[in-house]
Amino acid sequence: MTQTATSAPDRLIADAIDVADADRVLAGETEAFEGIVRRWQGPLVNMAWRYCRDRFRAEEMAQEAFVRAWRGLAQWRRESSFSTWLFALAANVYRSELKRFPTVDAPLEEIAEPAGAAHQYEAIVEQRRCEALRRAVLALPMRYREPVVLYYFHEMDVSAAAHTMGLPEGTVKARLARGRALLRKRFPHLNETGATGTGAVLHEGREALQ
Amino acid sequence: MKHTTDHKANPEGRPELRPELHSESHLAAIDRILAAEEELVPSSGFAATVMERVREEAARPAPISFPWKRMAPGLVLAAGVIGWGAWQAARSAWPAMREFAQNPPPIPATVLLQLEEAGWVVLALAVSWGAWMLSQRLVRRSGLL
Repeated sequence: MTQTATSAPDRLIADAIDVADADRVLAGETEAFEGIVRRWQGPLVNMAWRYCRDRFRAEEMAQEAFVRAWRGLAQWRRESSFSTWLFALAANVYRSELKRFPTVDAPLEEIAEPAGAAHQYEAIVEQRRCEALRRAVLALPMRYREPVVLYYFHEMDVSAAAHTMGLPEGTVKARLARGRALLRKRFPHLNETGATGTGAVLHEGREALQ
Repeated sequence: MKHTTDHKANPEGRPELRPELHSESHLAAIDRILAAEEELVPSSGFAATVMERVREEAARPAPISFPWKRMAPGLVLAAGVIGWGAWQAARSAWPAMREFAQNPPPIPATVLLQLEEAGWVVLALAVSWGAWMLSQRLVRRSGLL
């Protein structure tokens, strides 16, 4: 994903730009909010997508989050970075949206792991398996689903996920472990295959969970 | 023949990884799939639509605040009247309450028996309710609901 992939100096500059734009908005310059929208539309839409896996709905939810951010900008107390505040606000909006209109009707037990197949179909089966696993995340109970969604959204950073949820790290770790255990139970035949581009991030993430 | 401790055979005769190794690679597979999510690009008009809504919100007149200042004298008066009424009621009821506390009327034995039975029923209901709440909580934690 995007928001944690930037280097520290880049992040400082981005924070300063956000603060400047927020100050202009608070001074009555509505158009300055467009800079915030353009910078954060990608992460917020992607975060919403992970919550609902419906492109149209993800954009609607992200739009609502931006409008709420505009309304509540004066309540940002600047104790945390703008992005931390924005993600926490967006998570609240998405959570209440999904409470009003849940995404999945199928219970976790009904999402089966696709069976193995002949060699030439392995790629298709792998793709189906990945998709089934991502769907299974949406079928998790909300208390486990949200830590799982935010953990992977924040590139496996427990601390960032905890900040976004406004919960202690220990609680998030416990719920994350439970959520992943439920997924493991539903997908007993998954195995690590080959090297991936996310290898380093995976290693760091696993260390953070120890 | 000596068996290695690292592997054990499954019913099909194939060697199986140690459970903890299997578990590690299993988690790694889940991590790999869920971390490598395809990035969604917002539609081209997304920012414009958001700004349109923000401009609408900005153009809307500020909500009229509740007229607390106008309400204040009425509220104070109402509070005074209620307070005075309560004071008068308490003052007139005080002798009767003192009399009742000093000489309570005798309660018949049948009524006492019924009260005791009612107490047991309330206790049973409370225990049932507690057990139901506990089971709901355990089921929710297990992720079955």
